[in-house]
Amino acid sequence: MKICFYPGCSFATSAGYKESTEAVCRKLNIELNEIPDWNCCGATVMFGENKLRATTLAARHFALVQTMGFEDLVTGCNACYATLRKAARLLDRDRELFQKTQEVLHNLGLELDRIPKVRHLLEVLMEAMPDSTSDKYKTLSVGAYYGCQLTRPDQELDKGWYPEILEHFLARIGFSVKEHSARTQCCGASHAVIYKNECQGLSHRIIREIANKGAQVITTVCPLCQFNLDQAQTQNNEPRLPVTYFTQLAGLALGLAPAELGLNKLLVSADKVLTRP
Amino acid sequence: MSQNDTNPFSAIAHLESIKQCIQCGTCSGSCPLADLMDHAPRELFALLREGAFDEVLHSNTPWFCVSCYACMVRCPREIPVTDLMYAFKEVITKQGTAPKNLKMPDMYQAFSHNIKETGKVTESQVMARYGMKHPLDALKNIPLAIKMQMRGRLELKAQKVADPKSITRLFELTEIPKDKP
Repeated sequence: MKICFYPGCSFATSAGYKESTEAVCRKLNIELNEIPDWNCCGATVMFGENKLRATTLAARHFALVQTMGFEDLVTGCNACYATLRKAARLLDRDRELFQKTQEVLHNLGLELDRIPKVRHLLEVLMEAMPDSTSDKYKTLSVGAYYGCQLTRPDQELDKGWYPEILEHFLARIGFSVKEHSARTQCCGASHAVIYKNECQGLSHRIIREIANKGAQVITTVCPLCQFNLDQAQTQNNEPRLPVTYFTQLAGLALGLAPAELGLNKLLVSADKVLTRP
Repeated sequence: MSQNDTNPFSAIAHLESIKQCIQCGTCSGSCPLADLMDHAPRELFALLREGAFDEVLHSNTPWFCVSCYACMVRCPREIPVTDLMYAFKEVITKQGTAPKNLKMPDMYQAFSHNIKETGKVTESQVMARYGMKHPLDALKNIPLAIKMQMRGRLELKAQKVADPKSITRLFELTEIPKDKP
């Protein structure tokens, strides 16, 4: 399988998202074709500054995807996913905005004729990962954390409030899953960086809920979610749960070594839970 | 405070939808940062409907919207609350009425500036620029930055597109002309 991949700005410095994504894709024969010369999607900032600028920053990739000959674009970051989808939706519905965006891109030497489908890396691995045939991780209990922007606002991938796809995925690849109610509670996103004290409670509520339900590990699908939940645990002695990426767990299920999956980059170490007898 | 007579928000798509608001407060009750807002979303819509435009222009509410879309998927009247918050910020930015002591507009500016200059975002550079206005916040993040550095998760060098000037050009081409006074 070949996919057109948009890494986004946080991918390379995340806690092993890049390493594990690349290792898992290699193992599954998925060819990651990174969009050459990608830019920042604008995240949650640009739509509040200037709508045309926001759609153009996103649509620059749509034009690049077109030149690469792909129909879909895949990203692993919830904020990139939601932002690119928002732009795609607006361009699809607003003819005037589409034309203005086309014009700006044309001025930059790019042509936009069609809008690709924006997909999350989770969808790709849901299709590509084989069912588990091993009991190795059957006793490792995982709490799935979706964050806000995977299923909201359009709820296309799953329900906006209480999604279940990540649980199904984890169970299928051989992990024990703990149901909990914090799956789409907000971690404070970018506000948590500068409103640390005010947002600390948001992350702690999520971690405590997942710990209370008996999970030993949290798994996420977004660099900012991972970062917020991971760093919130460096400040106190609350239950300390390693916060992994779903790609790292997928890698373990495929028999890859923790070191290949960047698991040494977590702030709350996963060594203990992963090396149990 | 003098009241604007004309609605500065009138050009916003879907603004009409707030007429459908039944003031149930589901949005405010779903909002993770409602506690930090001067008027949680339900109240902001009530103010806007009553024509208290200056109050809305100076409100901190849109700046505390984290874009979690919880309100939007729960609103029984299907009002696109989060999209409206974005549109309010766009108007407020254009009018220059964001609260002066608020940190988030400065953070957004630092973020946007980083994209304009390099085409990408490098967290350490955004923090450095933001820190020029809020040095204490930047200093408080140093212990965490060290931990990140130790795990190879801190990038100090700017990530860049091949031709950063093309992104600066994109910014220029999409500049909104300032309103005439």
